[in-house]
Amino acid sequence: MTIGGWIFMTLSVSFVTILCGWCFYRVLSLPEEEVPQPVQDFHSA
Amino acid sequence: MAQPKQEWGTRLGVILAVSGSAVGLGNFLRFPGNAAQNGGGAFMIPYFCALLLLGIPIGWAEWTIGRYGGRKGFHSAPGVMGVIGRGAAARYLGVLGVLIPLVVYFYYVIIEAWCLGYTYYYLTQGGLGIDSSQAVADQVKASTGFFTSFTGQAANGSLFQGRHAGVFVFWLVTFALNVYYVYRGLSKGIEEFCKWAMPAMAVCGILVLIRVLTLGTPDPGHPEQNVVSGLAFMWNPDFASLGNFKTWLAAAGQIFFSLSVGFGVIINYASYMKRKDDVVLSGLTASATNEFFEVALGGMITLTAAIVFLGEPLTRANTGGTFSTGFFAVPVVFAHMPAGRFFGAIWFFMLFLAAITSSLSMLQPAKAFFEEALGIGRGPSTALLTVVCLAGNLFVLYFSQGLVALDTLDFWVGSFMIFIVAAAQIIYFGWVFGMERGMAEAHEGAHMRIPRVYRFIIKYVSPLYLIVVFVGFCLQAVPGYVRTVLGDAARGIPPDHDAQLAWLVIVAVMAGLFAVTVVGSRRWRARGLDLDGLRGPDDQVRAA
Repeated sequence: MTIGGWIFMTLSVSFVTILCGWCFYRVLSLPEEEVPQPVQDFHSA
Repeated sequence: MAQPKQEWGTRLGVILAVSGSAVGLGNFLRFPGNAAQNGGGAFMIPYFCALLLLGIPIGWAEWTIGRYGGRKGFHSAPGVMGVIGRGAAARYLGVLGVLIPLVVYFYYVIIEAWCLGYTYYYLTQGGLGIDSSQAVADQVKASTGFFTSFTGQAANGSLFQGRHAGVFVFWLVTFALNVYYVYRGLSKGIEEFCKWAMPAMAVCGILVLIRVLTLGTPDPGHPEQNVVSGLAFMWNPDFASLGNFKTWLAAAGQIFFSLSVGFGVIINYASYMKRKDDVVLSGLTASATNEFFEVALGGMITLTAAIVFLGEPLTRANTGGTFSTGFFAVPVVFAHMPAGRFFGAIWFFMLFLAAITSSLSMLQPAKAFFEEALGIGRGPSTALLTVVCLAGNLFVLYFSQGLVALDTLDFWVGSFMIFIVAAAQIIYFGWVFGMERGMAEAHEGAHMRIPRVYRFIIKYVSPLYLIVVFVGFCLQAVPGYVRTVLGDAARGIPPDHDAQLAWLVIVAVMAGLFAVTVVGSRRWRARGLDLDGLRGPDDQVRAA
């Protein structure tokens, strides 16, 4: 395999892996989503 | 009767569902062959250009359009496009956004059934019966023969009587699974399925990747057939190919079809998001996930393994297209690979998961369209969809000779029309909806900003890029397909009967969807919905 081949393979695979990892890190480190609370019955305790 | 409002359960769920829709057989089977034929490593230059200038911006536009349309009470492409494009013309153009996933489903679920069938053969019968003591060329011939017989290519109707009628069982299982998960709805069906299927697919892919990268030089008699030479076949750059327009066309086509933009699915999925749900980071994450599966797994596994066991001449001859790579070459690889039965089963199961996460997404747009245009509930819409899809599937299963019918549907609907929808979306977004308004809408609730340069890219570069690629694509491929349908008297080529029937199917489905749109438009107007997008963004839906 030529040096060019190694460079293209390493850069391409690293780019997509890092981009994907960064995106999921951002998504998973966001604060918990707000879950709407059920409406309380007016007369319940 | 008011229908319960459908929405996604979690932000990760919608991302995995869109990623699942995008990751399909093309990631593992089409991409490596495409790259190797078009400059190897150098192919990645036009490929990443297309990703940054075409795939990601059109994806962002589609996510934004979908969420905006959802806020106006629409979940199908005709409704959403009518709002964004402000009028009936855009609404009727949006019919293609329902037609594409529906018609692609007609044949895609059958390819999915093949993958399930191959998984079954590897699990229970140790593979496809390829004799690894024969010459490798004969093994490829045996593998090709098995596929041809399994898919009923000898004659129309052969699947209904041949020894491979068992393919019906795999098709029925696949079909039932799809209908079941779509019937369960967004969060309990599609989202739940994708939440385990996507990680399972990644695990299967990584397991096969590790196996392939540790193969070394399995045959001492052929020291040139090793892992490094396999990687070299895929990645060694040929810079001369960059001067060839075909390379740029192939790269743009690969990105475009792989990301599922212009397919009508992202619009539908995004329409169930809430106003403050992020679309920018979500869109980028879905695209990045697709790229990971395509480049880091697809780009490392298939051709590397093929070179190791088949050698370069046979790999070149048998890895040009999706089917030849996946169903001719790869089974021979597993026949030689240590523990090949196990890895073959994992590989085809991974392809099955990739296919089913995509096919699920193809049903949802039509289901949503029937519900909102005809005012029917989940049960009747699923029943109607099931009948239409059964008819479509049986058509493709019966007219299986040479897979001409399947190929015709795939080209005209699964390729040609996608360009039209994507071009319409990006032009409506940048030029009719308006760039400033579009960006403001995209950034509502966004967890990252779209770089400013993308205003210019979305308005000018992406549409122009798309049109150039579309013209190139038409010049390259359309004449051949037109000849198949109409024949060519000068060259003595008769019209192909199956291709003509496939066209009839397309026209019939399109006519049906247009009729439903006419009914739906009246209904939406009567309900007071802003179907021409003439009111402000904060206009509240006045549900009847």
